[in-house]
Amino acid sequence: MNMVIRGARLIDPSLNLDTVTDLHIEDGSIQAIGDLSGLTHDHNIDAQGMLLCPSFVDLHTCLRDFNQIQKGTITSETQAAASAGFSQLCPSPDTQPCSDAGSVISMITSKAQAAGFCQLLPVAALTKDLNGSQLSNMEALSRAGVIGFSNAGHDIGDNTVLLRCYEYAATFGLKVMVQAQDHALGQGHMHAGPTATRMGLDGIPVIAETLSISRHLEFMQHTGVSGHFNQITSANGVELIRRAKAQGQAITADVSIAHLCFTDTAVEGYSRQYHLQPPLRAESDRQALIQGLADGTIDAICSAHQPHESAAKCAPFAATATGMATYDMFIPLVAQLLSTKQLTTQQLVAALSTQPAHIAQTQVPSIAVGQVANFTLIDLQHQWQLDADSQVSQGTNQALNLQQLTGRTRLTWNNGQISYNR
Amino acid sequence: MSNLQLTSRGELKHFLTLAGLDRLMLERILDTADSFVVVGNQEVKKVPLLRGRTVVNLFFENSTRTRSTFELAAKRLSADVLTLDIKTSATSKGESLLDTLRNLRSMHSDMFIVRHTDSGAAHFIAEQVAPDVAIINAGDGRHAHPTQAMLDMLTIRRHKGNFEPLSVAIVGDILHSRVARDQIHALKTLGCSDIRLVGPNTLMPNSIGSMGVTTHTDMDEGIKDVDVVIMLRLQTERMASAFLPSAGEYFRLYGLTTQRLKVAKADAIVMHPGPINRGIEIESAVADGPQSMILNQVSYGIAIRMAVMSMAMSGQMQQRQALVANPTNTEAQV
Repeated sequence: MNMVIRGARLIDPSLNLDTVTDLHIEDGSIQAIGDLSGLTHDHNIDAQGMLLCPSFVDLHTCLRDFNQIQKGTITSETQAAASAGFSQLCPSPDTQPCSDAGSVISMITSKAQAAGFCQLLPVAALTKDLNGSQLSNMEALSRAGVIGFSNAGHDIGDNTVLLRCYEYAATFGLKVMVQAQDHALGQGHMHAGPTATRMGLDGIPVIAETLSISRHLEFMQHTGVSGHFNQITSANGVELIRRAKAQGQAITADVSIAHLCFTDTAVEGYSRQYHLQPPLRAESDRQALIQGLADGTIDAICSAHQPHESAAKCAPFAATATGMATYDMFIPLVAQLLSTKQLTTQQLVAALSTQPAHIAQTQVPSIAVGQVANFTLIDLQHQWQLDADSQVSQGTNQALNLQQLTGRTRLTWNNGQISYNR
Repeated sequence: MSNLQLTSRGELKHFLTLAGLDRLMLERILDTADSFVVVGNQEVKKVPLLRGRTVVNLFFENSTRTRSTFELAAKRLSADVLTLDIKTSATSKGESLLDTLRNLRSMHSDMFIVRHTDSGAAHFIAEQVAPDVAIINAGDGRHAHPTQAMLDMLTIRRHKGNFEPLSVAIVGDILHSRVARDQIHALKTLGCSDIRLVGPNTLMPNSIGSMGVTTHTDMDEGIKDVDVVIMLRLQTERMASAFLPSAGEYFRLYGLTTQRLKVAKADAIVMHPGPINRGIEIESAVADGPQSMILNQVSYGIAIRMAVMSMAMSGQMQQRQALVANPTNTEAQV
């Protein structure tokens, strides 16, 4: 498809680009950038007031399918990702079956390829079946195209095993990604704070995260592995990452959109949609996460998208499945963050595109003449209601269901093809 | 949360927690219960307030005392009572909580008395399953046990009168106590300004100070000059799960003995939700002594449960009538 997008604000952190101008796409490539008022075209998009930036890279998302088609399929969820401006996704290895074998990885990537909405950069299991005792075939998996190894939310309790995981990853220069939370201290159902106490829910203390971050930092330091932390949640966690980076450790970190926008008080009244692992924390933690993004301690924002069927959330709070479907409300939440002016548009775009792309060692999609179209166009002012008709994800665990939202994707290009067009 | 248990006119239609209920409502419950205390002393102990209504006792967790007082309360209100032994019923055959409840609802039950191990279970049922069945929370996880807290308030009011000048100490396993949280809500709402929690740090919930109480690790300091000492039950499994080293050490530090009770006011009353562990949290001489209210609490428990059940049922009936009179009035459904 060919088109001219007129009057959008173009931001590309990799090129230091921030300008309001026009863009011409021909045969899936950027043909021209600049004042194109003289160019007549059949297909024009008036994009005044809209934001055009490199399409997003998601460092942590949960793809369903196979044994979990009641929750979603690779087609439905990659389409939902495209509707949130993403074109490259790093699926978590806790798929069913588990992403611990090349065959599973190729099955997942080929399904996504056939669907055509997003490219996958899979994360494989660090241990077989995430069991925390046997190493996965890391070298073979890395040749199958995985970008890193993680044990997702599953514990590796034995430090000997964990040391070997790191040593083996270091042998081949592979990246280890960590969901940092101590297993035993992480048995609760929400942040240990006043809300948990009032509601009688078992709390997860901040030390569950900081102990685990410290532990993994030691292993990363000891073995020289380049490590990445998924979903930091606390102020103390941010501080640990900040100090390690200051000491020159080669680590990176991300934060989920939910932890940037919600706090533990959202659980008040047993709101099951806010039952997350790792948990939403206090307002002071949320502020520290935003500060961490602003000062570069945290490199990227991930979706931590986890779609569920309605039955998974239909039980008393502690008995419900954890996680929220975030793709449908992703842009409204980004727009909300922007409106507080605590982060600049450039910082947010970098944390969603160029920085996670760098961590995933993928090509940074840039907005320049001659480049394949890989961008998303966002209408930050668009008002709409999230409901069963407007949502794209199959997940029914939509925290903002039936609410009036501001901000929506207008268009996403993935590798020269339109993957979302509203 | 509070909206869920009140009709649009502010009447009780479920009874889930004391959080969010105002002083007027708590006093109405106490006044109504006072009138039912008299019923318990009559030759014929029945009143017809729930005649023709079906009350289902749903105890997903064991409890002899609470279950039997609820059953008695329902019978004294002339309701038809069904008590389900959940262990032998459908949930143990793999039927979900949701499906069990939907089935019971289809049998045209008017009220569910629910005890469940999960915090928020009663809220879940009121919200998701049975908005038109009155839900009475008989204890959910560590969250709430509002009838127990209200019977404690009735005990205090009948023996101490006004709440404002009182100092109240709650001693023991606050962390796992569903009663303590509702007691704090009730005491604060009724005007008590000196509420003290006493126990070791392992049994003290995170940020409990945010509920407007003081915390004390020293028992003598905590109960000094108080008017009311509420002892909480210590489950024996707390030792196995490393909350405490031994029952002996706990009794030495936090057990209520005749000697220690002297630190409190001379006319202080001693309460306990039961069942008591003699020699672990309380000495027999205190439990059976003149200051003990433990058995009074049990009989007031029936009166409180009668009060709450009749009030919630009347709120439900008003709501149903409003719906019948004006089916399009969605306000009436709230």
